[in-house]
Amino acid sequence: MSRRPVHVKINGVEREGYVEPRKTLVDFIREDLELTGTHVGCEHGVCGACTVLLDGEAVRSCLMFAVQAEGCEIRTIEGMAGPDGQLHPLQEAFRDNHSFQCGFCTPGFMMTAAALLEEGPLSEEDLRHELSGNLCRCTGYQSIVAGVMDAFGRSTPAAGQAADAATEAAR
Amino acid sequence: MRFVGESVTRVEDRRILTGRGRYIDDVKLPGMLHAAFLRSPFAHARITELEIGEAQKLPGVVAVLTGADIEAATVPIQVMAQFPDFKSPAYLAMATDRVRFVGDLVAIVVAESRYVAEDALELINVEYDPMRPIVSFDDAQDSTAPAIFDDIADNVLYRSTSTHGDVDAAFAAADTVIEETFTQSRQANVPMETRGAVADFDPGTGDLTYYAATQSPQGCRFQLATYLDHPIDRVRVLSGDVGGAFGLKGPVHREDISLAAASRIIGRPIKWIEDRNEHLQASGHAREEQMQVEAAVTSDGRLLGLRARLLIDQGAFPCLPYAAVLFPNMIRDLLPGPYRFGAMQFEGLVLATNKCWVPPYRGPWEIETWVRERLMDVVARRLGMDPAELRRKNMFDGAEEDRSISGQHLAGITSRESLERALGRIDYGSLRSEQEAARAEGRLLGVGIATFLEAAPGPKENRMFPEDAKVRLESNGHLLVMTPQGPHGQGHETTLAQIAADAMGLPLDHVRVVHGDTRQTPMNLIGTGGSRASTWASGSVMVTTRKVREKALGIASAMLEIDAGDLDIIDGMVVPAGAPAKAMPLAAIAMTAYLAPESLPPGTDNHLEAQETFTGDGIGGSGWSGGTHLCVVEIDQDTGRVRILRYIVVEDCGQIINPAIVEGQIRGGVAQGIAGVLYEKAAYDEEGQFMAGTFMDYLLPTATEIPHIEIDHIESVPVEGLDIRGVGEGGAIVAPAALTNAIEDALLPFGVTVNEQYLPPGRILELTGAIPA
Ligand code: FES
Ligand code: FES
Repeated sequence: MSRRPVHVKINGVEREGYVEPRKTLVDFIREDLELTGTHVGCEHGVCGACTVLLDGEAVRSCLMFAVQAEGCEIRTIEGMAGPDGQLHPLQEAFRDNHSFQCGFCTPGFMMTAAALLEEGPLSEEDLRHELSGNLCRCTGYQSIVAGVMDAFGRSTPAAGQAADAATEAAR
Repeated sequence: MRFVGESVTRVEDRRILTGRGRYIDDVKLPGMLHAAFLRSPFAHARITELEIGEAQKLPGVVAVLTGADIEAATVPIQVMAQFPDFKSPAYLAMATDRVRFVGDLVAIVVAESRYVAEDALELINVEYDPMRPIVSFDDAQDSTAPAIFDDIADNVLYRSTSTHGDVDAAFAAADTVIEETFTQSRQANVPMETRGAVADFDPGTGDLTYYAATQSPQGCRFQLATYLDHPIDRVRVLSGDVGGAFGLKGPVHREDISLAAASRIIGRPIKWIEDRNEHLQASGHAREEQMQVEAAVTSDGRLLGLRARLLIDQGAFPCLPYAAVLFPNMIRDLLPGPYRFGAMQFEGLVLATNKCWVPPYRGPWEIETWVRERLMDVVARRLGMDPAELRRKNMFDGAEEDRSISGQHLAGITSRESLERALGRIDYGSLRSEQEAARAEGRLLGVGIATFLEAAPGPKENRMFPEDAKVRLESNGHLLVMTPQGPHGQGHETTLAQIAADAMGLPLDHVRVVHGDTRQTPMNLIGTGGSRASTWASGSVMVTTRKVREKALGIASAMLEIDAGDLDIIDGMVVPAGAPAKAMPLAAIAMTAYLAPESLPPGTDNHLEAQETFTGDGIGGSGWSGGTHLCVVEIDQDTGRVRILRYIVVEDCGQIINPAIVEGQIRGGVAQGIAGVLYEKAAYDEEGQFMAGTFMDYLLPTATEIPHIEIDHIESVPVEGLDIRGVGEGGAIVAPAALTNAIEDALLPFGVTVNEQYLPPGRILELTGAIPA
């Protein structure tokens, strides 16, 4: 099958690839760009494991073809921490709230939550609704909800560091 | 102890949070090919024609292998053949002349990409001659129906019968006999990561390296070597992060054997990652069981006798190696739970059907708790007693002489305490008054209680399967801990490090826990499963670390010329009692042992590595995990929707290593238990067609369906000995009982008995009479 070029900016880096038009975006990210943090849980748009930010919006990368992302800006879990390795406040909140066990669903939840964070705090009930497009089989969700709620409280890196320092001091 | 008991941050977290976990689909080898399986669309049929020529010609296809090709490269599978009275059929990794369930393996395509491999599947032509499918419990017990396996006369593969006490006398003395048949539907483990593997046979060395997503790397190695007839010393299993399993990835699947055989035939690495449809249809199902019970009771609520007949639908093939035949007797042993029954008669059957096989699923014996706790409520209601009162009346206290009718030693159980705490926490008395008031307003409010015991590790007399760990003090003074466990979310890299750090006297980050490489880890076939890790892996790491500590102190003693008994290890430093100035880092001791052993006095043991077996010696306490769950629901009469208003867990797993991890295990298990009642069903139709092949049909609950779960720990710890008990399965074992009890209680105004476990809104509306049944 003939291939076509695709250009994306992913986690701030310009990348290109040549793919069959039928290749899904998630397969392109995982196989061609070798960013395997994004996961595949169902390939039919239900589990949310493949969620990435496409031009700032949370999308299911299993439901799109790679060629549809031509010229787009993509953010994946690999792009969450700072270049110095400093974790994003959301990552810290997930860590501190034990928001995952096996971690397979985590990239999807993290990217869904990253989009929510942009829009500001939600009530727990609303948050549960917003997260209901992502499946987790390990946690029973309570710790994920707690993690995102916590992240709302530390939504800027500075706030995150302050919260971290406070936790550290408390120890 | 400094780390045990703390919710320390997990060692695993950073890599997972930054997208650097290494799951099976992340493995990419040079020259790697991709496999896809052709699966049967029929439940039961003969293959009359199989034409692969067109598929082979497709550009990008490297090979198309049939069942006959795989048969020639493998040994027929026969599991648990040594189990008394189990008629264990021999079967092949892939079908040759006959398919036995929808999803059975017919051919494997190996190609340059999964896309091409799937294209090629479309080009394979198979003709089938359908046979009568065996689908229901009745079909499977019908001796005139066709036998699924040629070497077994019928479809009843196992029957276990036993009697405890004088059952006839018990029934003769009863004031009331209560009969019910309780039925569970098919569910499935459904980890978010589907199955997958990369098989890499090296024709140069003859080594087979198998990258697996497994709960038991050594078990996987053993089975592959056996069924590929490959020297086990030339089989290496490597396992990284595993995206959930819940029992599913403990077994070795027919796809594993086929894939490894294909790699050996072709001589190149091959990856297989199943899609969700394959997973739902063919990876493994669970819980399709039925129990018919008769209870002999007195009018004041004493349980004189119990008769039980259990049916287990194990699907077509007995699971390798954990066939369903393992479970009837465990179910029998656990069935009386923490209650006094005067006598018991038990019969358990394992039935073959034309459906997907049945690996363990989080507490595979769960029906014992569900049926018993349902029965307690049914009995209480018939007798006009409060269900909590009936439980109180019959519950053992955990006295030294306490033994259940099935012979289980129950000394030290805390069931009663868990029940009282749960009732206290909810203020049971006022809750019942509140319920009265709600009923008066026409609201359907229900309360469900359920108590369970789990043998993790079980009482002293029935503890099985010792486990080893290997520990090495490295030259930098850090500790390398090697375990045969196959963690898949439980955080063993953290919990076992907590154990080792405390046992050695090290900072947590001076311990590295290694698993998943069978060339490094000790042999152990079970790995992670059966709620074993807390007791057995912890115990093995503890005794082995102590051994290494003793060796390190021996060397330190020679170097410092101080008696070992006067030395301690604190934070990685060897500290002489009363002379802290002479403290020496462990690294200095290790360096001396490795680089200058000749400087030590003759006879000093300079090996800083040990492998010890934990046999269960030194385990204190009852050996029983357990607790009580209490659930409050409200049912919407118009929609049949069940809303969980409160969910309370009171549990006792002995000493807790890491509370955050323990609570995560409990919540995850409860979520699966709730899901099995309200949402999930791996449905088949009468022809054995599978009906739940997507997440639109098999409904996993989301964040809006699983309630807030409140947890209270009893943490009973004996005066002496190690007492860390398993906690992985309890939530899933008891939640269906607590929830279905609450639902029946809510439906009291309709006078119905809930004897099915699966209760979606439609079924609730049938029970209330809102829609016809
Ligand atoms: S893999 Fe995309 S939604 Fe499940
Ligand atoms: S942590 Fe395992 S699926 Fe969510």
